[in-house]
Amino acid sequence: MKRKENKKIRLSKGDLSLKIVAIIVTTISMLMILFPFALTISNAMKDNVKIYDVPPKLLPDSANSLSLTVDYTGFTGTDSELEAALQDDMVSAMFGIYTKLDRESIFEIKFYGVQDGKTIFYSRAHQIELQMEKEYGVYEGTVLKEKTLLYKDRAEKVSKILGYDFNVNGLSGHSAPEVVQAETLDMLDEVFAEKFPLKGELTACKTSRNNFLLLESFKHYMRLPQYMYDSNETIAKYGFMAFVGNTVLVIGFAIIAQVLLCSICGFVISRLLSPKSARFVLMFFLGAMMIPFVSIMLPQLIMYREMGAYNNYAALLLPFLYPYGFYVYLFKGFFDRIPGSYFEAARLDGASSFFLYTRICMPLSKPIISLIALQTFLGNWNDFFWAWMATERQDLWTLNVALYNISNNVSTKQNALMGISLVTILPVVLVSLIFSKQLKQSVMASGVKG
Amino acid sequence: MKRLDRLDHRNYFLQQKITPWLILCIPMLFTLWLKYYPIMKAVYISFFNYNPIDKPGQFVGLENYKTMFATQYYWEAWGNSFVFLFLQILMVFIIPIIQALFLNELRRKNLISTMYLLPTLIPTTINVIIWRWVWHPDYGIANQIVKFFGGQPQTWLSDPSLVKFCIIFPGVIGGGVAVLLYLSAIQGISPDIMESASLDGCTGWKRIWYITLPNIKFVIFIQFVIAVSSAMQMLDAPYMFAAGGPSGASTTQGIYIYNAFNRDYNYGRGSAASVVLMLVVMAMTAVQMHFENAERE
Repeated sequence: MKRKENKKIRLSKGDLSLKIVAIIVTTISMLMILFPFALTISNAMKDNVKIYDVPPKLLPDSANSLSLTVDYTGFTGTDSELEAALQDDMVSAMFGIYTKLDRESIFEIKFYGVQDGKTIFYSRAHQIELQMEKEYGVYEGTVLKEKTLLYKDRAEKVSKILGYDFNVNGLSGHSAPEVVQAETLDMLDEVFAEKFPLKGELTACKTSRNNFLLLESFKHYMRLPQYMYDSNETIAKYGFMAFVGNTVLVIGFAIIAQVLLCSICGFVISRLLSPKSARFVLMFFLGAMMIPFVSIMLPQLIMYREMGAYNNYAALLLPFLYPYGFYVYLFKGFFDRIPGSYFEAARLDGASSFFLYTRICMPLSKPIISLIALQTFLGNWNDFFWAWMATERQDLWTLNVALYNISNNVSTKQNALMGISLVTILPVVLVSLIFSKQLKQSVMASGVKG
Repeated sequence: MKRLDRLDHRNYFLQQKITPWLILCIPMLFTLWLKYYPIMKAVYISFFNYNPIDKPGQFVGLENYKTMFATQYYWEAWGNSFVFLFLQILMVFIIPIIQALFLNELRRKNLISTMYLLPTLIPTTINVIIWRWVWHPDYGIANQIVKFFGGQPQTWLSDPSLVKFCIIFPGVIGGGVAVLLYLSAIQGISPDIMESASLDGCTGWKRIWYITLPNIKFVIFIQFVIAVSSAMQMLDAPYMFAAGGPSGASTTQGIYIYNAFNRDYNYGRGSAASVVLMLVVMAMTAVQMHFENAERE
């Protein structure tokens, strides 16, 4: 009796320690899984300078919005001269602040021009827009100084890209702030006095905190491909969405092709063939699965090139035109389990095989279709090498190829890279969180059968 | 009348026989064309000093294989592949098993298993972008951690002795589909076994070791076979992390084949390596299957 009691206590101790270890291990795993996401988000929200801080900070600094008012009351000249002067000042002010005050986390600059108490000019730029213009746009590869900024028609070009409102008789929508923050004024004076002199007179300025600007960065990160590959018409027009479109096309085609081909093959093998030939055909398809991609990528590329399926959509889509053995096997197993009486009844009523396939098999096989769609999606979401080998044109790139190329470009800044990565995975993560139940069910189903 | 009837019968049976093959011929031809033909072609090209302009070039027999086996670089690529395989099994393969075993002990399985799916959704490209930043010698977190513990900062991906570790390490976050597979296998163990085990006093750690693990052995084995064969074919991650460098330290068989074709323009040697790799992968899979079968009987 005593022995038994002892045993019980000892055992529950073991259970407890197991439970504690389980909680610890799972918590650590959770943290590790969230780590890449946390790193991506925090880096994407930092600015061009802060990402290089050592030691790196986990949380990004809060974003500041700076607005400045410049007075042109004493300006003599025509309206178009005034507009040109305003453009020049806007560009020098924005890029001056961007380069000189780079440690202040100024994510937004609002530039107001006033004359005789009326607001005649307004322009606003996000820091990432300026960064893009510096890295890939008009100022690509230039050292930012007053001379280089205003060289020839550069100021006009940049101000048109960034956008501004100008009306000599006063703008209705915008009123220039009149507050003067001494601290901000000191900083700005320093910037403008030395390297970036303004034609007007700085009368008011203020900074305020606005953390939504950190989120706005992502909108501008998405335009990165447009800046980098502006010589390609499709990319210049659709930008990042061109890559998304290619990826959706490839994955969608793969899913449709695989479901159709594999279900037809599975149906024929399961219902129309004798057991012996069914075995042979199944082994034929499964054997094709055993050939590793690495072994055939070279002859495959040679073959596709000879056929002309290189650097076009045919090269991307052709590899999905044969049924994958494993999916055929899944379909066959599923159709085998449909009761034979269904088919006999239909046959007696004179139904053809086509009818049996479309009206009996396909409606029943919804779970297996979703499983195959999921597996195909996961497989292709990760697929890189073939798309990379078979395409040169930028407008054919899938997301993976595009991201790899963007990340290998020396002038790509880490914050933009992380931002664009996050934009890529976030929709997929959200969708799979919404459908997590179905997703898990089909993954588990494939495990039991496989 | 009778003859016609017989003819009809014959026609019917003929139709019954031919229709399935008529339907199957297109997918089978495509499989032949897109999958079997390229591997045959690889064997074929490997016997030639292949010239893409004046195909197929000069027949050299086994010369490609001989020169390939004689170069040290080729054996280094094999060595790298096996080190990758070893690291993959040691560092990455067991993590999902542990995670699934412990997850099964907890109550809120649903929520946590959803979280475990997240790593699957990060494509390799983005994983490489993230981890290249972690391993960055100047600004990366890795060196900060090393410094915090008083170590010397490393160059990580530029260090031939560390590059393989750096490429495999991102896998230790575990998760993914594998956790769910193991979890469903654990939950599929018959409750009778569990119950009788607990009645016999086999609970806690003992239950995991003596009951759970042996019962999911088969799933672990299948995953092991898949892990081995995919580690041998490793291509994307080492290529994106370090493009096979530094000084060939992360050149796997896949990268060797790709380089032979893309850098050296030596189609014959690349094809020879492809054929050898396929044979090795198949042989390894067959050996594993054989052992498993022997153990079961």
